[in-house]
Amino acid sequence: MALERMAGTLDEETRIELKNSLSELERLSLALEEFGDRRCLPLKTVMDVNLALDEIFTNIVSYGFPDSDDHLIKINLLIEGKELNITVEDDGMPFNPLEIPEPDLNVPLEERKTGGLGIYFVRKMVDELRYERRQGKNVLFLKKKII
Amino acid sequence: MKIKESKSGAVIMLDLNGRLDASNSGVLEKKLTDLLGAGEKYFILDFDRLDYISSAGLRVLLMAAKKANGAGGKVALSSLKEHVREVFDIAGFTAIFPICSTSEEAAGLF
Repeated sequence: MALERMAGTLDEETRIELKNSLSELERLSLALEEFGDRRCLPLKTVMDVNLALDEIFTNIVSYGFPDSDDHLIKINLLIEGKELNITVEDDGMPFNPLEIPEPDLNVPLEERKTGGLGIYFVRKMVDELRYERRQGKNVLFLKKKII
Repeated sequence: MKIKESKSGAVIMLDLNGRLDASNSGVLEKKLTDLLGAGEKYFILDFDRLDYISSAGLRVLLMAAKKANGAGGKVALSSLKEHVREVFDIAGFTAIFPICSTSEEAAGLF
């Protein structure tokens, strides 16, 4: 019975919708934890994906919307074989994180800057990262191997 | 995230509990800025109960380390969990903070 239910839900997409408020970070982590538990994903995979999505979401909320209106950031998670495919969609200003230069990590403390560190984490946490501007929306594709 | 503060001699110990991300890094930033403003410059941040850190958390730690070092002080970290440690490694932050396995060990640095 339980196995049947699992088999039936394997190719289903999981959607997480977040408002453009940093307080939603907690809901993001809880939703990912629940998703990971339900799909028996390794904790390391869930933690890496959490960090990547946290940094992307924080960027969108902090810099994406010049107005003070409510916006929704939509995250889709889909397990395909041994890969977790994720899309993040927002209707904020065009922003391609792949254009952000990598930070210089080999400088002394006094000269260290933290700009660009968040996007650098995203690159490090996932196996593939792709950006599209589509119908007035930023769409970011992330691929994470499940190991 | 909860922050518990204690003091031993000239050293301020901050015990961080929970998750440190952009939603609450401002709380830690204010705490550290206030302490630095009051003349404190020796800090141990104990991460024994810190489950998660993002770049927003690292930003605050870097700010505190720069200010403390500039005043002739120091910020040491202790008891990093594996995933937190990994974030420090990726950011190249392991090279710029003294990182100890326990808060007792960190206390020995001062």
